[in-house]
Amino acid sequence: MNNLAHISEQRDFVVSSSSLKDVRSFSREVFEKVNIEQDLKDELVLAIAEAAQNIVKHAYQGEDTEDKMEIKISLANGNLEIGFFDKGRPVEKDKIRHRKIDDIKPGGLGTFFIQQIMDAVVFKEGEKPWINHLILSKKIDY
Amino acid sequence: MSYKVTEEGGISIVHLDGEIDMDVTEKAKEIIMPLIEAKKEVHLNLKEVQYMDSSGISVLIESHQKATELGTKVILKDISKSVLKVIMMAKLEQILNLG
Repeated sequence: MNNLAHISEQRDFVVSSSSLKDVRSFSREVFEKVNIEQDLKDELVLAIAEAAQNIVKHAYQGEDTEDKMEIKISLANGNLEIGFFDKGRPVEKDKIRHRKIDDIKPGGLGTFFIQQIMDAVVFKEGEKPWINHLILSKKIDY
Repeated sequence: MSYKVTEEGGISIVHLDGEIDMDVTEKAKEIIMPLIEAKKEVHLNLKEVQYMDSSGISVLIESHQKATELGTKVILKDISKSVLKVIMMAKLEQILNLG
């Protein structure tokens, strides 16, 4: 395993639930290059897959599309930044809420997991051709 | 995801295998829900599940709630380390039946 100080890798995926397996494979491949605990790698893969799932589920509301989303994983000087770009419906930031801890019902867990795993979650307006740009970040010791 | 269903002493045992994400949750529900609706006690064996995301956890919650509503129960058996971690992250270890 290498311990690279700088990583910047990106890949496009068709916006579909069937792409989530490929999103996880890509993420695992990238984190294999980083000398961090397996538990943390698993958490980061989960956060990335949940964010990608949110694009399929919410930005595209599960509709069939040929659109692609782009995921970019960057690591420099211990700062991990994961960017998600999509051309779906604009995210209404005020409507994004994770499940309350004592509210036991299906749904809303993905955002809850992302917020538990990452240090920061920022939604930005995407620069053309993108509509949405989500940035997940976390300080990593490696 | 693959699966196998066996019966033992009136209990339906569902062995799930692989990764459970949004892409397979409908299939998982199609397997589990009819057993619950038949008011059977269902054991979900999660030993071979290497990955589960929030969609998979939602299936566990829905199954648990449906079973409670119908007066039966769903018990999670041989939970893999990775699935247990996600259940705990969701703070559901006191809610779901972990056997």
